[in-house]
Amino acid sequence: MLRTEINELLTQTGPGTRMGDLFRRYWMPALLAEELPDDDCAPVRVKILSERLVAFRDSQGRYGLVDEFCAHRGVSLWFGRNEDSGLRCAYHGWKYDYTGQCVEVPSEPETGNFAANVKLRSYPLVKVGDVLWTYLGDPEHQPPLPEWEFVRVPGEQTYTSKRWQECNWLQALEGGIDSSHVTFLHSGNLNTDPLFKGSKGNEYNKNDVKPFFEVAENEGGLLIGARRNAEEGHYYWRVTPWVMPNFTMVPPRGDHPVHGHFWVPIDDENCWVYTFDYHPVRALTTAEVDAMKAGLGVHNENIPGTYRPVANKDNDYLMDRDAQRRGEMYSGIKGIAIQDSSLQESMGPIVDRTKERLVATDAGIIKARQRLRKAALALAEQGTPPPGLAPEHQRIRSASIVLPADQSMLDGVRDAVVARPGVAQTTV
Amino acid sequence: MARPVLLNSCARAATAAEARFRIGYPLVPSRATRVVALDDVAASAVRAVAGHAWHHSRFYLLGSPDGLHLERVGSGESVPLAPELDGVDAVVMVAGTADGASAAATIGASCTVRGVMTAGLVLDDDETRDALAALRPYARVLMVPADVEDLVELLRAIRA
Repeated sequence: MLRTEINELLTQTGPGTRMGDLFRRYWMPALLAEELPDDDCAPVRVKILSERLVAFRDSQGRYGLVDEFCAHRGVSLWFGRNEDSGLRCAYHGWKYDYTGQCVEVPSEPETGNFAANVKLRSYPLVKVGDVLWTYLGDPEHQPPLPEWEFVRVPGEQTYTSKRWQECNWLQALEGGIDSSHVTFLHSGNLNTDPLFKGSKGNEYNKNDVKPFFEVAENEGGLLIGARRNAEEGHYYWRVTPWVMPNFTMVPPRGDHPVHGHFWVPIDDENCWVYTFDYHPVRALTTAEVDAMKAGLGVHNENIPGTYRPVANKDNDYLMDRDAQRRGEMYSGIKGIAIQDSSLQESMGPIVDRTKERLVATDAGIIKARQRLRKAALALAEQGTPPPGLAPEHQRIRSASIVLPADQSMLDGVRDAVVARPGVAQTTV
Repeated sequence: MARPVLLNSCARAATAAEARFRIGYPLVPSRATRVVALDDVAASAVRAVAGHAWHHSRFYLLGSPDGLHLERVGSGESVPLAPELDGVDAVVMVAGTADGASAAATIGASCTVRGVMTAGLVLDDDETRDALAALRPYARVLMVPADVEDLVELLRAIRA
């Protein structure tokens, strides 16, 4: 359980909040690159960390992320015209460049300097991999660009999707580090999903449904190990990294691509879930990419033209009670992503953690909350930069591995959890 | 398939507005938890945490190397292990060295027989690796490395 004030501290990420200040120290996914596919394409509304912005790509291919509302009368610039290296308000023609600088006010004399004194709040928007990243913090503290392996491998080796989840970012993230739910909620998918099936690790999973857990501190966050019995004298370990504040990875299965998530606050009651799959040393096959686009693995199917899942709270997530009874899907909901989102959204927009009844196997969640709280307070009170900013904290991987029973998890996976170009993932 | 006709008969009931109508009622009593220091390094951490206000938690040092007897923190009373585990929800073993390996085995086995959840905290110390090896077989959940604050957080989180 958490006290009310701690729950609020961890879940509120708007401007001026302590967790909001913490988030504003990191590069965050703001859009998929596919959302701004061409120069002068349609602008896109972006809400992130409770700030309403508009993103556009100008005539010279430069990305802009600026205040959504025109400085003149507060009209949304989403209705504007993206033309001639700027976004022009549809109401009175005020025009802004990619930095938010007003460059033209048609009603004012051309020789005047009125426009030069008008500038919208703007943030950097940078393409790294298939993702457009933004940094909403003080430019003085801007860290190096993201080093996550999923955006640093060649384009043919990686695929990222995105979905809207209608709950606070923290309860979505907590699903990503809660290894104990996998045995139940996702039990129907391991042997049928083309992006999971066929691995030796699946057999260990099936044969030992009561794993032991080890929660180990790591420089950028945590390593959460789930340990199951393997052959005599050996354990099968699945190691989930969490890097502060909102990055998690899922341990791999066989030679299938490795996957993970970014859990990005839209506001305090909604978040974007960026879901990636990549292979460190080979191109994804057509079949794999087709499966991801079809919503298999950890991806989902969205309503065409949107990032809202087809299965959502308006249709009870397309619950299939017959499939549940037949044992095909533990919860009757199709797909890992929606199995998670349906339950996490059912908790309410911001779950009341004063009423929860945690158990010892929730140690990963307990520890993550503690680290988030301490980092937010250290930043607020001493200006201490939070963990997870350094490029070496981001060069991380999940791992699955069989180790001798007397070998420590940390010793056994020390190399396996470091992302190294050209080196395959450690997987069983 | 029958379609929901009321807001609270579909998943839309998870909105903030509907969440206000959730039933409020007192929480169940706190969990009975036992915290055992397995060595001298752990003893100082457990003594420090025992001084906090807890509901149904008890704190112990080892009364015998094999763990069959415990010493209650505070009173210093020596008690046999088995009765102290009656009706307990969780046992948290705290280790800083491998000295308590034998006791961890005894306590772990006793918990298994009774269906009591076990957790282990390995304190950040020069001998962390040995302590970890000693605890790993007997703790369903391990936190490593941990400190006094981790123990407090864990106990608070499980309403100890």
